Amino acid sequence: MTNLTSLNYLQPELILTATILLMIVVDLFYSAKKSRRIGLWALAGLVLAFIYITVSGFNIPTALFLGSISSDPFGIFFKVLILLATIMTILVSFSERDLSNQRVGEYYILLVIVTLGLFFMVSATDLIMVYLSIEVVSIMSFVLAGYLRGNRRSSEASLKYVIYGAFSSGIMLFGLSILFGLTGSTNFFDIRTGLMELQNGADLALMLSTVLIFAGLGYKISAVPFHYWTPDVYEGAPTSITAFLSVAPKAAGMALIIRFFNSILGGEGVFTELEWGTFSAIPWTQLLAVLAAVTMTVGNLIALRQTSVKRMLAYSSIAHAGYMMMALPVLSQQGVYGIMIYAVFYLLMNLGAFYVVMIIANATGQEDYDQFRGLGHKAPLLAILMTLFMFSLTGIPPTAGFIGKFYLFAAVIKAGPSFYWLAIIGALNSVISLYYYMYVVKTMFFTQEKTSITQIEFKGISILVIVLAIPTLIFGIYWTPIADIVHKSLAIFIR
Amino acid sequence: MAEITFWLLALFTIASAVIVVTSRQLIYSAVALLFSFIGVAGLYIYLWADFIGVVQIMIYIGGITILILFGIMLTNKITSVRISHTSVQRRIAAGGLTVLLGLLITMIIKTPWYLVAASEPTQTVESIGKMLLIDYLLPFEVVSILLLGALIGAATLARRGR
Repeated sequence: MTNLTSLNYLQPELILTATILLMIVVDLFYSAKKSRRIGLWALAGLVLAFIYITVSGFNIPTALFLGSISSDPFGIFFKVLILLATIMTILVSFSERDLSNQRVGEYYILLVIVTLGLFFMVSATDLIMVYLSIEVVSIMSFVLAGYLRGNRRSSEASLKYVIYGAFSSGIMLFGLSILFGLTGSTNFFDIRTGLMELQNGADLALMLSTVLIFAGLGYKISAVPFHYWTPDVYEGAPTSITAFLSVAPKAAGMALIIRFFNSILGGEGVFTELEWGTFSAIPWTQLLAVLAAVTMTVGNLIALRQTSVKRMLAYSSIAHAGYMMMALPVLSQQGVYGIMIYAVFYLLMNLGAFYVVMIIANATGQEDYDQFRGLGHKAPLLAILMTLFMFSLTGIPPTAGFIGKFYLFAAVIKAGPSFYWLAIIGALNSVISLYYYMYVVKTMFFTQEKTSITQIEFKGISILVIVLAIPTLIFGIYWTPIADIVHKSLAIFIR
Repeated sequence: MAEITFWLLALFTIASAVIVVTSRQLIYSAVALLFSFIGVAGLYIYLWADFIGVVQIMIYIGGITILILFGIMLTNKITSVRISHTSVQRRIAAGGLTVLLGLLITMIIKTPWYLVAASEPTQTVESIGKMLLIDYLLPFEVVSILLLGALIGAATLARRGR
């Protein structure tokens, strides 16, 4: 589609861009104390974009801007997820204590720019757009992670994030340049045609370039061995940003990986009629399977030994990236289906768990296990909600997490005996994770009171936690609506 | 003749880059970086990418390196500090990198790259401009958002106090 007609499909992005520009101007008129009102403008823009997307619904997959990006139900599904995560993040940011004593206008502006970057990330079909959208998301996240001025851990988080980010995107760029050198094109589908013509002559180059590109993409979803930044950044960043980073860029990264592999190496539709056999000299699927197994195992094993709940959740988010990656190498529509369903439920339960940690941190200034001691007696409702999220993250019925994991494992097992080992490692990992998730529950209910929380105020963020807890429970019992939506959004643009 | 030019430029670039990472004085590293960038600009011009070559000189040499030099000179006492190049597990890294280098060299030699018949272009600026505003219009616009965000972010981080 030409550049001008493409604008018809770009309205949500245009709404976000207008919001960003408006916020920059409006911010000039607010004093430092009133600067958090910028958040309301951000909220208005995001809700408007959300309404626009949901009302206009799914469209026929189309290529926009001469193939730079595409608009399809698959992308729209992830855009809705990203918008939900951002809206939640802005809502909790209003009551984040760490942010309360500084100017926050730019905080909200940057958050909306990240959202725009994520939008392009889930719809990119061109190497240049892939790189640019990842950079938009990364550079804004660097600033957001270091937003707490005068806080050493926050500055450290930001610096580490910058170094790892620059390094991994440099490696990825090298991989992308090899791909361009092989085919002379930056468009996913032209690359695919070019690779088909090469036959098997360029196996080594293709192999190296894919590994290098995966370094950049794996960094975004914090897959092992590109995960080293994750715990420090998640610990140092403001908790609302940590929660956001653990969900939205990960979902977008997953979407980008699926689209990248599907467009360049896959067949018609979503991982169907595989043409991966053309490049059979390279053990793609085994490579991805091993990465998934290592990612979840490393994440879970290190999570066992943490003393801070926030850090534990950081490592557990690595493990969850591993669970989602598990369904990639099976190369089936069912696998992508499982990933998408899991992304929805993961958003609910992980945001919920982080927000409980945030309530504790707001009240005590720390997020260690010690602060959770005896929480079950002091604030029973909060402790019960946290228990629900822990159950869900482990994948115990009747919670949404169980349904999500069920679909993932089903896809892996259905792929045949060659993937049984992956399912077994996944199951073993669930057992390991049970230990540290239940340790939180045990600390809350079966230890002496030590928490200095006197009273949990029932407002703002607590309401949000309940709002997240209800679907976590309901979707564990009745998930047909989500399954229907995911089923409809399986259409991906293919040329 | 052209071959020799290429190898000289490449040698110049890499030798400067080696000084950047091995020099113990920060200011020496920064100046060596300048020469490395000049070498890269030479490579661009050698490849007939005259526009990119000029941009390289203007932005990297005229802008970024000068900014780094100012940053070093305006930072209190930084020139007298010995920057330590401590690195650990050199052997493992050397082994890994040798393997990677071997793989890359094998790849470069063996791969049937996508080649375009060489012809001396008359104008590169015009075609770059057309590509930016037609084929790559959206990336071009997204870059402006990226730069806007980077500007806001940098100002936020550099702001004094609250």
